Amino acid sequence: MAIKVPKEREVPFGAITPAPVGQQDLFMTSNWRIVRPVIDNEKCTRCFICYASCPDSCWSYNEKEDQMEWNWKFCKGCQICIYECPSDALSAVAELDFEDGVVRLEKPF
Amino acid sequence: MAKELMLSGCAAAAQGAKFAEVEVICSYPIRPYTAIMMELSRMVANGELDAEFVHGEGEHAQVSVVLGASAAGARAYTGSSGVGVTYAFEVYSPAAGGRYPLQMAIADRTLDPPGDFGSEHTDAMSARDQGWLMGWASTPQEVFDNTLINYRVGEDQQVMLPQFVCQDGYFLSHIPDKVVLPDIAQVREFLPPYSAPHPLSTTCPVSHGPQIKPDQGAVMDAQRASTFLIVPEVIEKAVADYNRIFKRNIPPFIEKYKMDDAEVAFFIMGAHANTCKKAIDQMRAQGLKAGMVRPRWVRPWPTKQIAEAFQNVKAIASVETSTSYGGAMRGGNLVHELRATLYDLEKRPLVTSFMAGLGGDVILFEDFHFMAKILNQMVKEKKTSKHVYWIGFEED
Repeated sequence: MAIKVPKEREVPFGAITPAPVGQQDLFMTSNWRIVRPVIDNEKCTRCFICYASCPDSCWSYNEKEDQMEWNWKFCKGCQICIYECPSDALSAVAELDFEDGVVRLEKPF
Repeated sequence: MAKELMLSGCAAAAQGAKFAEVEVICSYPIRPYTAIMMELSRMVANGELDAEFVHGEGEHAQVSVVLGASAAGARAYTGSSGVGVTYAFEVYSPAAGGRYPLQMAIADRTLDPPGDFGSEHTDAMSARDQGWLMGWASTPQEVFDNTLINYRVGEDQQVMLPQFVCQDGYFLSHIPDKVVLPDIAQVREFLPPYSAPHPLSTTCPVSHGPQIKPDQGAVMDAQRASTFLIVPEVIEKAVADYNRIFKRNIPPFIEKYKMDDAEVAFFIMGAHANTCKKAIDQMRAQGLKAGMVRPRWVRPWPTKQIAEAFQNVKAIASVETSTSYGGAMRGGNLVHELRATLYDLEKRPLVTSFMAGLGGDVILFEDFHFMAKILNQMVKEKKTSKHVYWIGFEED
C-alpha cells in the first residue's frame, strides 16, 4: 500500500528549506528557457539597466572583472534585458547553440 | 471540573477553540458560522482566552493570515460559510502543501445563486480534494470533540495537515444541545502545545513556500498521498486517547445505528442523521429492519469501515445533502465514493441516492419513509432501477 518516492527525488517536508543566502539552489527554475542573453563586453557601458529591468534578478555586477554577470540558474529567457539595453550589447542566442543548453538536458534539473 | 452547558454548534466550536488554547484567530463575518467568531471575540475581549484576534478583509485573507500564523508556529483558527468557503479556495492547497496544521470551522451554507442562507454541504464538499482533513459533526458535543481531535491529528508530526471541521448551518450551528465541557488539565493531557518543526524565525531563518521545479511537483503529491495513508492510524490512536481521558465512547471513523441485523440502510452525514435515527425507530416498529451509517470523516474517507458496515445489507440509500451536477450518478457526491467503496465486496448491496437537505430543506420523517419504500422495492426487484431521486420532486 505504501507509495515509494526514490531517495534522490525526495523534496524537503512541505518544501520548507533553510533560508537561502542570495539564491535558492534547491529549486532552480530556468529549464524552460529557449534562448539566453549573451553579452558583448565591448559594447556594454555598465549602465546596470539590465540589472534593474530583470524580473528575476539574474544580472549582477562583478566588480573584480568589471563586467556584468548572468545567472543561468534562474534566467527564463524572457529577453526584457535585451529589449531594454540602450547600447545593443545583448543578443538572444538559442539554447540549442550551447553544449550545456537547458533544452539539451536529458532530465530537467 | 467538567461541567454541562446548553450550547449551539457555533458556541461549541468556540469553546473547542478556547479549550485548544488557540493563539491566533482570524475572522470575517458571514452567516451562519459568524456566531463562532462572536463568541471568540467576546472571550478574547474579557480575558477568558489569550489569543491574537485579527479581522481579515475577506476569506482569502483569513486563511492567508492563519497560514502565516501557523508557519510562525502558532495554533491558528479561522472559519467560514458558503461563498466565504469558496472565496478562500486558492489558499487551501498551499496550506496543505506547506503542511500547516491550522483549523477552519465551516458551518455549511448553500452557495449562490441566488443568495439562500440555508444549510447544504456543497460549500465544504467542493474543497474536499485540497489535501485537508475533513469531517462533519452531528451534534454540538461532536463539534466540540472534533475541534480538539482534529488539532491533535493535524498537528501529529507525521501528519501536519490543515483541517476542515464542518457542521450543518442552522440545524446544528444555531440549535443548542447539551455539551460536556472538560477540565482544562484533561485537554492539555490530550492536546499538548503545538510545536512547529520549522517555524519562521529571525534567529534560524527558513524559507517557506518556494517555487519548486516541475519534477518535484509529483513528488510532493506522492508525499502527501503517503501521509493520508497513515492518517487513519493517527485518528484511531487520537480517538482512543480522547475516549480514555474524557471517559467517552466516540467511534473513530463511522457511527453505526442498528446495523447488526439491518437489511436496508441509510448512508447520511451531519445533523440530518438525528432525524434519520428517529425515522429508523419508526420503521423498526413497523417491522422493517433498517439501519444507518454516518461517516465522521470525508477525508480520509473511511473506506474499510464503511465496506465492513454494509457487507450484509441488501439495499442502501445514500442521502446526499450536496450536489455534483452531471456526475456519474447525476446527483450528489457521496454516492460516488460509496459505490466505489462497495465495489470490491463479494455481495455488493444495491445502492441508490436521494437528493435531500439542499438549500436549507429539512429532511422530514416522511422523506425517510419514502426512501425506505424505494429500498424495499429495490430489494423485491433485486435491482437499482434509478440512481437518483429528488426528494419533493418525484412523481409518486
